[in-house]
Amino acid sequence: MSGFRESLVRLTEVATDPYGYAAEWKRTHGRKVIGVLPMNFPLDLLHATGALPVILQESASPITGGRGLLPEFYCGYTRSLADQADSGELDVFDAFMCVDHCISLLGAYDGIRFTLPSRPAPLTQFVASMDEMWSYPSVRGRVDQLRDQAEDFLGVTISPDDLSRSIRAFNRDRQLLRRLYDLRRAGHTELTPTTMQTLVKSSMVMDIEEHTATLSEMIDALAEDRSGRGERIPVHLSGHFCHAPKPELLDLIEECGAVVVDDDLYTGFRHISTDVPEDGDPFDALVRWYFDRNVKVPDATRAQNDVSWDQWLLDSVEQSGAAGVIVLMAKFCEPHMLYYPELRKALDTSQVPNLLIETEHEGLAIEVVRTRVEAFVERIRHQAKPLVATA
Amino acid sequence: MSVTVNEPQDNARAAGPAPVADTRGVSNRLSSTKLAGKMVKEYWDRLFTARERDAHVVWYNGAALNPIFEAAGLEWCHGEAFGARLAAMHLEGPAQLAAEEHGYIGELCSYARTHLGCAVLTNRNDSDVSADMSVVDVIDQETLASRLPAPDIFVNAYAGCSTGQQWDQATYRIFDRQIPFFKVSYPTLWGNQPDAGYLTGQEWDEASQFVAKELHGVIAFIEEQTGRKVDMDRLRESMRCIKRASELRLEAMDLCKTAPTPATYWDWIASIAPINFLPGNQALVDYFTAVKAEVQERVEQNISALPNERYRLYFDGIMNWNKLGWLADKFASHDCAVLCGRYTHNAFWQEPQLIDEDDPILGMAQHYLLCPTNHGFKTLQHLTNKDCVDFGIDGVVFHSTRTCRAFTGPQQILARTVQRELGLQTMFFEGDVADASFYNDEILESRLEAMLEAIDVRRLQG
Repeated sequence: MSGFRESLVRLTEVATDPYGYAAEWKRTHGRKVIGVLPMNFPLDLLHATGALPVILQESASPITGGRGLLPEFYCGYTRSLADQADSGELDVFDAFMCVDHCISLLGAYDGIRFTLPSRPAPLTQFVASMDEMWSYPSVRGRVDQLRDQAEDFLGVTISPDDLSRSIRAFNRDRQLLRRLYDLRRAGHTELTPTTMQTLVKSSMVMDIEEHTATLSEMIDALAEDRSGRGERIPVHLSGHFCHAPKPELLDLIEECGAVVVDDDLYTGFRHISTDVPEDGDPFDALVRWYFDRNVKVPDATRAQNDVSWDQWLLDSVEQSGAAGVIVLMAKFCEPHMLYYPELRKALDTSQVPNLLIETEHEGLAIEVVRTRVEAFVERIRHQAKPLVATA
Repeated sequence: MSVTVNEPQDNARAAGPAPVADTRGVSNRLSSTKLAGKMVKEYWDRLFTARERDAHVVWYNGAALNPIFEAAGLEWCHGEAFGARLAAMHLEGPAQLAAEEHGYIGELCSYARTHLGCAVLTNRNDSDVSADMSVVDVIDQETLASRLPAPDIFVNAYAGCSTGQQWDQATYRIFDRQIPFFKVSYPTLWGNQPDAGYLTGQEWDEASQFVAKELHGVIAFIEEQTGRKVDMDRLRESMRCIKRASELRLEAMDLCKTAPTPATYWDWIASIAPINFLPGNQALVDYFTAVKAEVQERVEQNISALPNERYRLYFDGIMNWNKLGWLADKFASHDCAVLCGRYTHNAFWQEPQLIDEDDPILGMAQHYLLCPTNHGFKTLQHLTNKDCVDFGIDGVVFHSTRTCRAFTGPQQILARTVQRELGLQTMFFEGDVADASFYNDEILESRLEAMLEAIDVRRLQG
């Protein structure tokens, strides 16, 4: 059995070179690899075909050829995807699939389709408004279309039993990840934000059984932590849709005297928040999962009148004991830009200190961010212990 | 190429140095479109008094659902249209400042920012303005941006751009989630199946039926909210007038295949508001009858829109409302006739044959799906290439609209394909739909000159 660190090294390798893992998996298994666009695709369905579903990740490479496919005012993730198509990084994938309707994402998807015309790249759009009477049946129909598409270009049949097995496999992995989230909330200091990102990001890429096995070994090897958080300020990280914030940014936040106790990042708790129901028809269950997860962790890309990300965030902060919220927003992310004022208003009204940090594919002004986070941490510290006692 | 050429001015397109004339920069705009300004002003002025008249008001975005609202006896406010109006009048400032103060970031869609700012100001007006400590001062708050009547109902109907639905969800929240809200969802016409194409294929048929069903849902929702039936006879009459107006508009635009052209893209921009959101009635038909008559008369009398038409251009992208007159003059000053564009020619009831006057719902649904941001690039490529060929286009101008991801997403692919497949010159310039700060005149000037030089060189090379 590997120790915690050894397992983490393995998952870090995958998270750092996701397409290298995919290429190696394809070579050793002789099966197809499907590139999936975030954030609501049911990976379980593709797993049931025997293919490897991989959520496309932002590349560390600078964007060059991709500038000829998308303008500079698209988010860094979508520009990176276009660049990956142009540079050949996506060549490992046999097909692409997408259910999310985000105008920037579709721009990148069109760029992929234009650059790699021989690969299937259907859009099987899940309705984003969750409120209407036809929302549920519409998504149910789309799940059937996904099944048809996958069966068509993979040349297999997905039986309900196959899908149920895949759902159980993904649920098991999600449950293990959530257990680690619980440990972090409880104060386990080894579970840094970079570590948590590695664990979730690798789950988006790896063969899920292999990931679960590695994760199980890590949990078994994880020593009890009695060191405590000390004087560090507990914070919640919020947002950052579709792709992972840079690890150096996460490290910096903790270097400034904060300790991340919870998050709703996409490459974080948002992705693993919700299990697919294991009862009933498994294809129906994928639809229930889609609707459930917007309640479990509300999403600014979905429109649902009776669900509020802002209220969810306040509740989450109360439960985790976070003393402040750092909102990480990918520059040019329209759903996040549209929702942000609501988050800010709710946090301000409840007197929860909050800080907005915009991120970009290139050019993270690390020292500027350091100053802002340090000031944020000191502000919270002094609110807790006023320099001058009030009468 | 299906360009119709009037012999007497055919040599106007010959290669060679531009003639030095006092007329450069003077665009001979249609006089009939001036009526549009009056009609639109009257429409908004009436809307501003809705509360005084105890009228019910619906706020909506995206597709032209106004015939349904008209038949329901509602007064309608199209958010983008009001944002465009503010920008065209250079009055967008207070709304955008209010939005910024509320927390919206400057890179957000400027239509959305402007309209959300209006929502903030309208909501504020419903409370106590004098007690407010806003940076948008009382004088600014009294400007046009704050005159919208608060909504009784929201309907979102935004095809193509995901931001549209999220923006209306944000507006709903600004009004404290108290106002009834209905959302129409559109399948993107992505072209998944081999038989998929413009107005054809299983995907098109299924999407049409899906949206038609939703429109019946909109009608039921409105009837529930207002407590009265939607007048279907009135809807049919409205759609009959809109269909006729659309036919006239398309016939008039088609006459501009003539070289030199009798009218330009800027004339069709001036006619967008009437076809997009004014009531479907005889006045609308009369307006486009007059426009077509003027264009026809110009063709017959060899009157051109530009004194020295030397280049025929296609304009891709949404309009830059802040710079409408400026851009018209800019292109005219280079003897460029901008003839057609995705925004004017592939939107706004552009396929009237789809409308069954006796049962218009399906045809309406199909037009809503035909929003020019609701297609995958293959269909856009087809539409752009077709217009470029039909209108005898020399070059394509892409308005790289800073905060509009919907229009700009496929532009670079379109540029590549019109270069590759039609051999056309292309250029990009930066600007925005409703935020003047993103416009860069020097870049437009230098890139336009470069593109025209390239066209000249190609002509000389035969």
